Amino acid sequence: MSVSRDDFSIAFRSALLQRGASHKFSILSLFIVALIIFFLDIYGFQAVKTTRSFINDLVYRITYLASTPTRIFPGINQGVASHFNLKKENEELRQVIERYKAQDLNLEYISNENKNLKKVLDTEDVQSVSNVVLAKVLVDRNSPFLKSIIINKGSKEGIIKGMPVTQNKYLIGRIVETNYLSSRVLLLNDLNSRIPVTFDTSSTQAILTGNGTRKPTLEYLPEGYIFEDDITVFASGKDGIFNAGTPIGKTKDNGEVDLFVDPNQLSFVTVNLIKPTKEVF
Amino acid sequence: MARGNFINKLFSTGPLFLLYYLSISEVDTNLEKLFEVFSLNLQIIIIYFWIIKRPNLMGTGHIFFAGLINDVVMGFPLGISSLSYLVVCFFGNYVRNKSVNTTIASDWFTFFIALIFANLLFFSLLNNFSDVTTTFSKIGYNTFFTLFAFPVFWLLFNLYQMSFIGSQDA
Repeated sequence: MSVSRDDFSIAFRSALLQRGASHKFSILSLFIVALIIFFLDIYGFQAVKTTRSFINDLVYRITYLASTPTRIFPGINQGVASHFNLKKENEELRQVIERYKAQDLNLEYISNENKNLKKVLDTEDVQSVSNVVLAKVLVDRNSPFLKSIIINKGSKEGIIKGMPVTQNKYLIGRIVETNYLSSRVLLLNDLNSRIPVTFDTSSTQAILTGNGTRKPTLEYLPEGYIFEDDITVFASGKDGIFNAGTPIGKTKDNGEVDLFVDPNQLSFVTVNLIKPTKEVF
Repeated sequence: MARGNFINKLFSTGPLFLLYYLSISEVDTNLEKLFEVFSLNLQIIIIYFWIIKRPNLMGTGHIFFAGLINDVVMGFPLGISSLSYLVVCFFGNYVRNKSVNTTIASDWFTFFIALIFANLLFFSLLNNFSDVTTTFSKIGYNTFFTLFAFPVFWLLFNLYQMSFIGSQDA
């Protein structure tokens, strides 16, 4: 019995503390270092934030270069995906049509507002969106836990945390991390994304909640609300972050929203340089 | 002879190269286009297999560093992936110390325990200490698919080991 306990403790200690030719550091020491780094990053001292920002810029560039083979041979990735997903192709064609309808959608939004005698545009701090930055998507790595993209513009271009990001005037997400030369955009379908939205002729208010899947869902609706298909959902702008009336997607009868822009197909996006009136996070 | 040694060394760095490449590149194993909930953590499989079979090919420093890179690319708090990889590494080391000969079944079972602990640590740290939250179901699916993909990769890596590195176990 005691021999078995000795065996256990020897194997346990050895696994934790053993070092060798290729293992220059013991697991325990690296574990402690990782924990220190983790808590320094979480509790965000300024020096750590600056260092992380520098590392982010560097790593994102390397990631972009390292991913070049997958861009040179897109057939490998996209060929398989499109084969299994013909429906997506259909959606893309629909998006092209929707792009031409963008102006009509804005009109639809304004007329809805007028019908209900709401003065959203008067009460919200709506600013000009002429001040925009076009950015290229550097990294679009599909994590099961975090739906985000990295763009090649950062604080150098005046981008700050919370700014809305669009593609073809359709909302796709917001900035959640800025570095000097790059930024991270949290997409609408991420689990952590919550956007106040408005839709239908009675200007129903709801929260568009990302759930990690391709289609976010509408929550906090009026009691007994019955969903209808094909109603355009707009950002309500009540959070002071997004422009009121920015189109997002179309409703489905199960409460999901079919986004106008496929979050997995982004190559160029637009950052609206509007300073959020409320702090994000 | 020297050329043969060089090629042998090149093949030996294959697993480490793959680990770094998966951490830093856009290549992902979250095939949601095919199946919405499908995601697997290939890095953990690589680390566990090679720590058990050929620990000299997978230094703990490299594992730690690959974890940090993965955190930066994924947008997780720094160190969280390293911690989860090191847990897997610890279990792999322990199993290697305790067992004389391993089979696919024994490796699979011990991998299950390592995976559970690694993902539990990841989930707890992410949800309790960071702004990023995830659901238990997401982690659950990831654990499930990683666990069931393990034998496939075990066979592939074993084949690679026997073909290019040599069949001798650690």
